[in-house]
Amino acid sequence: MSDRSQLIETGKPFTFDAQRGTEFERLVKRYPTRESMILPSLWLVQEQEGWISAEAMGYIADRIGCFASMVYEAATFYTMYNLQPKGKHHFCVCRTLSCYLLGKQELVDYLQRELGVKPGEVSADGQYSLEEVECLGHCGTAPVVQVNGEFHENMNLEKLKELLATLK
Amino acid sequence: MQVQVLSARFEIPDAHKIEVAKEHGAYATLDKVFAMQPEEIIELVKASGLRGRGGAGFPTGLKWSFLPKGVDKPVYLAVNSDESEPATFKDRYILVRDPHMLIEGIIICCYAIKSHHAYIYIRGEYTTQVKALQAAIDEAYDAGYLGDSVAGRDFKLDVTVHRGAGAYVCGEETALLESIEGRKGQPRSKPPFPAVEGLYGCPTIINNVQSIGSLPFILTNGPDAYKAYGTEKSPGTHLFGISGLVKKPGMYELPLGLPLLEVIDKVAGGMRDGRTLKGVIPGGSSTPVLTPEEAQTVTLDYESMAAHKTMFGSGGIVVLDDTVDMVKLVENLISFYHHESCGQCTPCREGLGWMLKIVKKIIRGEGTVADIDLLTELCDNIEMKTVCVLSAACTMSTRSYLNKFRHEFEAYVSGGASSKAAM
Amino acid sequence: MADTVKLFVNGQEVEVESGKNLIDAIGAVGIEIPHLCYHPALGADGNCRMCLVGIEDGRPPLVPACKTRVAEGMKVQLDTDKIKKIQHDVMEFELINHPVDCPICDQAGECKLQDYYMKYDGQKSRMTVKPVYKAKKLDFGCGVVHDQERCVLCARCVRFTRLITKTGELGIVNRTDAARVNIFPGRPLNNRYALNVVDLCPVGAMTSRDFRFKQRSWFLTKSPSICHGCSKGCNIFIDHNREKYKDDVIYRFRPRLNSQVNGYFMCDQGRMTYKLENDNRLTTAWIADREASVGEGVEAVRRAISQAKKAVLLVSPNCSLEQMLAVQRLAASIGAQVSGYSDGLIKQGDADGYLIQDDKSANRAGFALLGIDATKAGFDAAIQDADLLVSFQSDLSLSLGEADLTTLMEKMSTVYVGSYQNSFTAKASLRLPAASYSEDTGLIVNCDGILQQYKAAVVKNSPAAGLGQMVQMLGGSIESPAQALAELKSSVAALQSVDFEQIPSEGIALTASEVAHVAA
Repeated sequence: MSDRSQLIETGKPFTFDAQRGTEFERLVKRYPTRESMILPSLWLVQEQEGWISAEAMGYIADRIGCFASMVYEAATFYTMYNLQPKGKHHFCVCRTLSCYLLGKQELVDYLQRELGVKPGEVSADGQYSLEEVECLGHCGTAPVVQVNGEFHENMNLEKLKELLATLK
Repeated sequence: MQVQVLSARFEIPDAHKIEVAKEHGAYATLDKVFAMQPEEIIELVKASGLRGRGGAGFPTGLKWSFLPKGVDKPVYLAVNSDESEPATFKDRYILVRDPHMLIEGIIICCYAIKSHHAYIYIRGEYTTQVKALQAAIDEAYDAGYLGDSVAGRDFKLDVTVHRGAGAYVCGEETALLESIEGRKGQPRSKPPFPAVEGLYGCPTIINNVQSIGSLPFILTNGPDAYKAYGTEKSPGTHLFGISGLVKKPGMYELPLGLPLLEVIDKVAGGMRDGRTLKGVIPGGSSTPVLTPEEAQTVTLDYESMAAHKTMFGSGGIVVLDDTVDMVKLVENLISFYHHESCGQCTPCREGLGWMLKIVKKIIRGEGTVADIDLLTELCDNIEMKTVCVLSAACTMSTRSYLNKFRHEFEAYVSGGASSKAAM
Repeated sequence: MADTVKLFVNGQEVEVESGKNLIDAIGAVGIEIPHLCYHPALGADGNCRMCLVGIEDGRPPLVPACKTRVAEGMKVQLDTDKIKKIQHDVMEFELINHPVDCPICDQAGECKLQDYYMKYDGQKSRMTVKPVYKAKKLDFGCGVVHDQERCVLCARCVRFTRLITKTGELGIVNRTDAARVNIFPGRPLNNRYALNVVDLCPVGAMTSRDFRFKQRSWFLTKSPSICHGCSKGCNIFIDHNREKYKDDVIYRFRPRLNSQVNGYFMCDQGRMTYKLENDNRLTTAWIADREASVGEGVEAVRRAISQAKKAVLLVSPNCSLEQMLAVQRLAASIGAQVSGYSDGLIKQGDADGYLIQDDKSANRAGFALLGIDATKAGFDAAIQDADLLVSFQSDLSLSLGEADLTTLMEKMSTVYVGSYQNSFTAKASLRLPAASYSEDTGLIVNCDGILQQYKAAVVKNSPAAGLGQMVQMLGGSIESPAQALAELKSSVAALQSVDFEQIPSEGIALTASEVAHVAA
């Protein structure tokens, strides 16, 4: 894991939009402690903004009434929380075991060339970002690529080309 | 060889919808359940011999009976749907294709353990799956199977889905609880065990999705019907995930106890053309690899796996053929465990990164025999010195490759040595 | 001792206190179990794995001692090859990514990693690959500087801010070997006890900006004393050193365990009062604007007293019981009135319900024991018609407004006998230096009625006489500390049964009902 502790500050205050605010109030009733809302709240921010800024974490801490350090800990511990903006099309290629055995590297290399980004980077135009992630639980249909959360199974170069074409 | 116990509704179109699921028997067993005493259900589950399908294989009914009696605190059920062990992809089918089987199972379990709130902890990567699951839960609330009065009975039950966000370790049951409580997924020291002091300090049962999903069948058909499948000590069926270098990888429901090689051949279509078997990971990435010779005699049950010094694990079978570079495979695995270490215990936090750097050094051709020995020694130095078994998952598997395929590591070392000599 | 259990350590039977964990219980009888993350005030976390011990016939056979309670008949193994190997291995893991920059590390000499390396590891590094690099010199606020590379992730500092101060500024972010302690951006340490994390840190990851690079710890003499920053009387170590050709200087205060008073901690404000002991000290006698010998000064003050029609002796609530008594006796012999007026030392509303008290003096309770009036009304009455005011350690400028002080000083001549230079002493016409509490021995009673004794820690190159001795030179009747104690015993009811020779390190609760118990 690379260091995730360098948070980005936008310089602007954060608040939930009306929809997320309502969702927060609905969810908070499902737990006996407010701290349980740390993970769901981080998800709500990510849904709303695509990523999570320092201001958003501070907002969550204040809204929940917990230490900001706890939100910070959770946001940096759980690697699915984006701590910087991702590309419009965010590619996650599974790198583990079965996907590794079935040629994930070929897919990573191809995407790197085609999108002009290395794993962990976002393209200059903000269109694409690429990440190698650990096992996505689709080993029987490996290799698997997730684009903005949608699974694409049994991937190969040909299917990846087709997929890219639909996105461009 | 395949059976349809848990997967009975998997192929039925729209079986994830409540009306279709009900047409095919979903929630039908609840009348029987509510006519029984909770203790009777626990005894029945014990009698079925159902063992936890998350990996450890602990008897489910026995686990429930560890709940303390007469404690004035709520009891929680936490359903483990973290499914993050590489090569494991079985619970996902239940979540998507038959979520009502899971919900029915949750009702049965909660009634038996007197719990009124179940949390389903689902891994964050299951983006589409969580939507399917939540939709089914909403349906169940609307249909009166969840809420203040389950199926019209005087029994209240809420089910809340809690999403993880990318942390394998949260499959460890106490890390899972920490995660629900809003903290980093760092496993707790035991004792106290969750049955006594679990979620929010209350008695808590943590069961895998498939374990809970097995309950409707057991309650509907009785323990003997369940035990008719499998072996005496490993009864029932399992959703095996077969992946890797076979012709037909996929999820297959099989009774326990079948010969591994026969399953690879007959169910998974056998090896790819022109390739020979080099090894089998029998139950998820953490289980020690089996050589082709060992694979000859092993059967898919807890006892046979233990006799072969490996584990049944999650039933995620990975087939390796002669194209696989075992050193690079080990690099891939250590890299996974290193990435997923929660960072709490010193040996795991510091040791796995060290192991990874050593194996990378070997692959670069810069290693020596001493590095191979050091890698082997580090496995011993890390293993079982930590709060949870994440590091052991790494060291047990790594050690098996080092022991059984040491010549491949040595080839990298001598290759490095000879290239240096040539210079 | 409370209830005990008998158990075996390395086959040897020991009797230890029940209800405690193995580290504390066995540690109390002198057998050390190495540990980094456990701290009695913060509870067991179990992350360092250094305290793993074997339990013969135990299930499981290997347990963290911090999380394991002693039990009758338990067979604890510390010296088996297996346990020694674990201790050795854990140390190796702790050190592979550690910078081993001991030559420039403040913690060197009092570092658990150094101690344990020498004791349990001792082998050459086998690390032939690149270590993990992290951030250094992070300003965490409140004068705390953090080095992530030196950190062993024991989480003591994190737990301190969550469990003790309940401010939670610190967290361990990331996971695996990328884990590190950090503050949330824009929310640095912001509590009045923050510097305790420097003491709590078992390694050199948390350093005090104030102390950094000032002294090597092994040159410091660590003398027990009591903080005079407020009426809590937190027990401290005065860490001081006389460098070659220089004077004995205090470099830091550190809290010293007293479970009756302060537990393991002290406040930052009190910690920093060490500076008052070094700086702005009154070291010579002054007669008006002229530096004089102490002998000359004493003569001048005696003369002033003998010539005064009416003298008032002002005694500070920071004086010891012995000093208060001496002043009281002197007053009686010269027919002067005594006042303890010092309202300026009371900062109303500053107390926090934990250690910090409103009253910024160490022995106001002594006034009550000796019957010294400290009211404004009493003071005003005393100075009525007075033509001489002799202050013993008391800075009247803290209690009187500038106008009132000026009026007072116009009306009468003022004498200061004490240790410090301040805006009052600057104006006093006669000044006599006296040793401060860090150089003297004395009894004080804290806000909870606990009698404590501090002993001389620092010996200056030119030691000043103690305040008690100074009072005697001015004509007081108490000739020795022993006489002071004897007279305290005979004249103060609450002290009658106290054996001054054997005051326990935790002090004596003078009024049982008022015993303060700081949960440790």
